[in-house]
Amino acid sequence: MNPTRSSVPWLSRVALILLGVLFLLPFFWMVSTSLKPLNETMKLPPQWLPSSPQWHNYPDAMQAMGPFWLYARNSLLLAFLNVVGTVFSSALVAYGFSRLDWRGRDSCFFVLLATMMIPFPVVMVPIYGLFRALGWIGTFQPLWVPAFLAGAFNVFLLRQFFLSIPRDLSEAARIDGCSEFRIFWQIILPLAKPALLTVALFQFMATWNDFLGPLIFLARENQYTLALGLQALQGTISGTPWHHLMAASTLVLLPVLVLFFLTQRTFIRGIATTGLK
Amino acid sequence: MTLGERRNLIKGLVFISPWIVGFLAFNLYPLIASIWFSLCDYSVLSQPVFLGAQNYVDLWHDPVFWKALRNTVVFAVVAIPLSTFLSIGLAVLLNQPIAGQGIYRTIFFLPSLVPAISLAILWQWMLNGPMGLVNNLVRPFLNIINAVTGSHLQAPDWLNDPNFALWGLILTGLWGTGQAVVIYLAGLQEVPAELYEAAELDGTNAWQRFLHITLPMLSPVIFFNVLMSIIGALQTFAVPYILTGGGDGPGRSLLFLATYIYQNAFDYWNMGYASALALCLFVLIIGLSLVTVHYGEKKVHYSGR
Amino acid sequence: MAKVLIENLYKIYPAEKGRPEKVAVDNANFEIQDREFMVLVGPSGCGKTTTLRMVAGLEEISRGAIYIDGKKINEIPPKDRDIAMVFQNYALYPHMSVYRNMAFGLELRGVPKEEIRRRVDSAARTLGLLEPDNLLERKPKALSGGQRQRVALGRAIVREPKAFLFDEPLSNLDAKMRVETRTEISRLHRQLASTMIYVTHDQTEAMTMADRIVVMRYGKIQQIAAPLDLYHQPANLFVAGFIGSPPMNFFTGTLNASRQGTLEFVEKVPAGQTPFRCPLFPDTSRRLSYRQDREVILGLRPEHLHPNSLTSGVTLEATVEVVEPMGAETFVYLRTEGHTCICRTTQSEFIDLEGKKLNLGPDLSRAVFFDPETEEAIPT
Repeated sequence: MNPTRSSVPWLSRVALILLGVLFLLPFFWMVSTSLKPLNETMKLPPQWLPSSPQWHNYPDAMQAMGPFWLYARNSLLLAFLNVVGTVFSSALVAYGFSRLDWRGRDSCFFVLLATMMIPFPVVMVPIYGLFRALGWIGTFQPLWVPAFLAGAFNVFLLRQFFLSIPRDLSEAARIDGCSEFRIFWQIILPLAKPALLTVALFQFMATWNDFLGPLIFLARENQYTLALGLQALQGTISGTPWHHLMAASTLVLLPVLVLFFLTQRTFIRGIATTGLK
Repeated sequence: MTLGERRNLIKGLVFISPWIVGFLAFNLYPLIASIWFSLCDYSVLSQPVFLGAQNYVDLWHDPVFWKALRNTVVFAVVAIPLSTFLSIGLAVLLNQPIAGQGIYRTIFFLPSLVPAISLAILWQWMLNGPMGLVNNLVRPFLNIINAVTGSHLQAPDWLNDPNFALWGLILTGLWGTGQAVVIYLAGLQEVPAELYEAAELDGTNAWQRFLHITLPMLSPVIFFNVLMSIIGALQTFAVPYILTGGGDGPGRSLLFLATYIYQNAFDYWNMGYASALALCLFVLIIGLSLVTVHYGEKKVHYSGR
Repeated sequence: MAKVLIENLYKIYPAEKGRPEKVAVDNANFEIQDREFMVLVGPSGCGKTTTLRMVAGLEEISRGAIYIDGKKINEIPPKDRDIAMVFQNYALYPHMSVYRNMAFGLELRGVPKEEIRRRVDSAARTLGLLEPDNLLERKPKALSGGQRQRVALGRAIVREPKAFLFDEPLSNLDAKMRVETRTEISRLHRQLASTMIYVTHDQTEAMTMADRIVVMRYGKIQQIAAPLDLYHQPANLFVAGFIGSPPMNFFTGTLNASRQGTLEFVEKVPAGQTPFRCPLFPDTSRRLSYRQDREVILGLRPEHLHPNSLTSGVTLEATVEVVEPMGAETFVYLRTEGHTCICRTTQSEFIDLEGKKLNLGPDLSRAVFFDPETEEAIPT
């Protein structure tokens, strides 16, 4: 437990290796299954590696899912819109809560914090009704317009960061003649790049992984996101084609993994800071 | 208010205006509407009809509700401590000077990024009775135990056995503790080394140091994580929904409150009842959160940095 | 360049949970003349920074008014007050070059590019930002503390404001840099002939730089005067003890009638100890006769306590505790029964005298008397 020890107990090493393998196994199994011909997937005792990798499983799975690329496009479009909307609106609102002094600010912020406690199922039905009244059910709007209205969690994250920027920077800018929006745009935002990137990453992940939202608000198949399309695949086919399902699951997972590997440091730091507040 | 204060107020409100709109539309209105709907017979297709507390009475007598409530609470009560022990344990293991720390951290963290749909499909496969990987790993151990003690233990058909389905789900959840591991690891690294060094000089062993230094120093992080986990666990929806193909699982053992709410709202279009259920969920969440906060205030040690 | 008038100025923080109402600035009144270098000095929390920030427009005025050049500026936002400010932590924009940091304010006002270039170059040259290295294209993090502060100065200079405001600009610099930058600022003041308002907690900075000083404590102004007037004629106990380093020595006692018919100061000591006695000069005696038999505090600066003085009959015997040889002069810290005092002398024979007894001769012509209850100076 003590990081300054020079020799690590062998028990720890063994435990780590064991747990590491256990955690990796599902991934391994997923990819391995995705490359097997169907009959090999159901062999008992299980065959760890495919006899010969069936790369064509992947295009086959995409085919079986139907308009795969359309779904992918939908997922990407929504992710993009959400990232853009969230980053700008959360930054704007976080600025208001951190870089400006105004009467009632802290009470409003407390209300914002309180809203983080409201579970989605509670607001789900009325929001559905609201969107229905607007005629937005069956369109993409419910899945990206709210992003432009600043979610509490991201505001909280960015506010913490903005608070760490010295106050006298804003004051010097005000004396220099900067309007408040200019200070936001030309001074605070450029300094907040790491935090903005973190928000963007988290939002991308959240939108890409979102299942309940598309489930409720989308109607037509050609609007489905990848998540929904994959679920449809699971539902429709009888005599589950595990190799296709695994291949499709891997495909849906891939962009997330790639993004993670590209931005590891930011990601890990972002998660760590959220937890430590 | 002076002119300056008024100017600042306007500026402040302008900057937070996106949130104000969002708050009114997606927090305040829905909250109030939910309460109203819960007192009505409401299907989106027609106007709500006031029923008074009828929905709540029905809810009280609804065995499915109680089943869902039981499942949700059992899941939270079992999964959260298990997951906390696991993630703290992993973080402690990781916090040692070993080669490849970054790789291990990635391995543990990655599963928490998997989209719900992929996760559910994967684990549907992993938990498959005859062919799933989990049973293939468990079976050899069971065989050994059977040979030694003469019992006839069988690897469970996880997703089809009402007694084991929830455990299968918990297993799925444990795979995703990576996020918490990262948070705890960061927390561990904040503990000043001098504390451990002083304790070592005082003659403590590793377990004592863990108990009396690590845990107290980590307690604010643990508290926050547990609180967030409770709020999250009680709202579990996506994975069980997909695992069961939109259903309840064997003997309704995978029916969660959130699933039941969804079913009532969008399968049966019984939105009044769904709202009543949702408000119960809300009360449950607030109740458990308050208990946690109350307990936490006493036990959590803030090192006043 | 401008006059700045502070009229009945208050800053009041209303009471809130866990904290009563706080009056940070309590009825401040003073006028800064055109081209004057005015220093606001006092301990932490005395209200000097709050006052400065109200002049800048960074803090709301609770009550009272501030006029710049006769124009009331209470409701005018900072950018329209035609002032420039130099911050303690420099407040340089980290992502902009030195040039851009200095040019920013002018850019925002639509000053033409060539004019900006001219002003920035001129300021940079004056501040040594072009020689030996051209620092204009560097970012602040590539500069030392002293250089950053000069950029902050430059940013203020190019604005050609009516008044310059300084908020403890030297606090973050190391000792040597502090002295250098201090002289730099004084030189700039002469060169630019501009009104400057300077806040510091360091009385040395105040004494060396100011035309006049405002001494503040707990939100209230204690005294406003030129440095030497403050030094020789402090208005109260606080100012007397705050200005001057090492600080003034204070002796509590009474003015009794002496055998010679004049008043003499008799130190108040616990029973069994010998008090320090010191006769007053005849005219001082006469002027203070109304205070006979009343308590009084005698203030004597360290340089007015002469060690081993030849003045007969009037000595204070004390034991040397610590001797600090400063080179050009020596500070000797002594202890009498229950009282410490400091003397300062240019004589150098006091090294190695620790533990020994010394006789100190007070120069009463320079003494200041204070009323123990009001803490104000008694005019003599």
